[in-house]
Amino acid sequence: MNNISQRDAFWNRVYEIARKDTEVVVISADMGAPALDKFRRDMPSQFVNVGIAEQNAITIAAGLRLAGKKVFVYAIAPFITLRCLEQIRVENAIMDIPVTIVGVGAGFGYEDSGPTHHIIEDIAIMRSMPRIQIHSITDSVMASAFADISYHLKTTNYIRLDRQILPDVYHEGSDFTEGLSILRESDDCYIISTGSMTHTALELARDLEGRNINAGVIDVYNIPINGDALAEKVRNVKKLISLEEHFLPGGLGSAVCEVLNDYNIPLRVRRLGLSTDKLYCYKYGGREVIRGYYGVDKGSLAKDIAEYLSVESLCSLG
Amino acid sequence: MKVSAGELKKKSNEIRKTMLEMCIRAGTGHVTSSLSCIDILVALYHGRIMKYDPANPDWDERDRFILSKGQASPALYTVLADTGFFDPEKLNKFAQKDGSFGVHLQHDVPGVEITSGSLGQGFGVAAGIALGAKMNRNLYLVFTLLGDGECYEGSIWETAMFAAHNRLNNLIAIVDRNYLCVTDFTENLIALEPMEDKWKSFGWDVLRINGHSIECLVDSLSNLRSRRANRPLVIIADTVKGEGVECITNNPVWHGISPKGEEAETARLCLERSCGNE
Repeated sequence: MNNISQRDAFWNRVYEIARKDTEVVVISADMGAPALDKFRRDMPSQFVNVGIAEQNAITIAAGLRLAGKKVFVYAIAPFITLRCLEQIRVENAIMDIPVTIVGVGAGFGYEDSGPTHHIIEDIAIMRSMPRIQIHSITDSVMASAFADISYHLKTTNYIRLDRQILPDVYHEGSDFTEGLSILRESDDCYIISTGSMTHTALELARDLEGRNINAGVIDVYNIPINGDALAEKVRNVKKLISLEEHFLPGGLGSAVCEVLNDYNIPLRVRRLGLSTDKLYCYKYGGREVIRGYYGVDKGSLAKDIAEYLSVESLCSLG
Repeated sequence: MKVSAGELKKKSNEIRKTMLEMCIRAGTGHVTSSLSCIDILVALYHGRIMKYDPANPDWDERDRFILSKGQASPALYTVLADTGFFDPEKLNKFAQKDGSFGVHLQHDVPGVEITSGSLGQGFGVAAGIALGAKMNRNLYLVFTLLGDGECYEGSIWETAMFAAHNRLNNLIAIVDRNYLCVTDFTENLIALEPMEDKWKSFGWDVLRINGHSIECLVDSLSNLRSRRANRPLVIIADTVKGEGVECITNNPVWHGISPKGEEAETARLCLERSCGNE
């Protein structure tokens, strides 16, 4: 159990990479972090602060890349995706200029900041464009590993960091090449989740175990989803649930359904996430309160999932 | 050795004719937006201003030219074909089924650095390249051509601020100040003037010139490699949208289209007359 933020884990590792490779440049849209302060102090010529100007951040990043640099560009997640979406579309998706876009505050990470700072549409929007890989980060071990993966990547990726410190579920040296991992095995049923919701999925699965339901957990951290890998893992199960802190249209659940469809797997998915009918949330008092507004707090999810899996029918499956 | 103004004017006339024919053939293309910047492009590419090698478009030491107003692609494609970046035959297929490039600028055409068409973006990429060149201690210059209407985009001013703060004196922006947008003259639409003051207040060195005077263009674009300034330079080039083809100048209805039928014939005659007057 580690207690370092994904942000610090990621930037600490980028710092180490940049110490060895002077071509690495970090662009910050006026975002700080202890590791970035150190970066700026020790490698000022590799650090560019563009101010609160995300559109410019993306075009400057593209230009630096054309001049031979390896660029990480960083801001709060809604602003480094949606504010500059068209710049990303032209520079990164159309022209294929590879940079690493790093956004912090996935989902309700900025829990007390209101809906302008929540980001619950980015998976749908970013995955609608070719050439952009979404890396939805689960813990600090993965955050650190994806600093290296980003460094070696030949396409644009969007690193989706949670702002809050979440417990580590992976151990050093974990292999992330498949883009998804089974964190808990099951023959019958999987909860497929991403980011902070993977932690919730694991808690729910543990609770269900006490009720004699064996629900597995698949953590998806690379979108587009590795269809071969997902299809192989779920082909023979009986029930699937997707779980995300994101609006339902176009999100993880949609992406899972697309895979099932394309691989001829006749399974329905119970998609759990944020209903757009609930609009945006002005509730305060913590992430769980906001999740409660959308009906995806732990209590509501436990009830929903138990009903869906209906204890009797699953037991009879066993 | 300098190329004479007469030769450059002759070249501008040739490029105008080729460009106009290309767009008439295709039945599309932003003819007027291209005509306003052809003299600028001719000065850059034929006036011995920019360093480039048509046989090696990716030459590391080339000066970069970023056409931020991507709708003027017909002008740039014609100049690039003329300078030998690709077979001029390809111009005959402009925006056609079996062609390889169309109305807005495409980065995969030899000699073209970026895709543009969405305004306000190429300028930022140009500034990024200029910063990268500084970091790398490369000596090439980065030229970028902006439309005046493009200056309505907020991102232009994000980049303007950034470039001045970072002392990108290797970045030269040229504003094709033709005063026209899609629906109206800029000063009726949302006033862009006083443009010089705007750029100065953003920390740029500013020149304002007649953008159809080859002499003024070559003069202001010369000796930039030894410019004694730590500021980026913007050249506001006053131009006429449709320059050279009088029957389609200074009228917003000619934005984004190519003359057809009788109008095409009239446009050809106008251009002939204007070339004859040179």
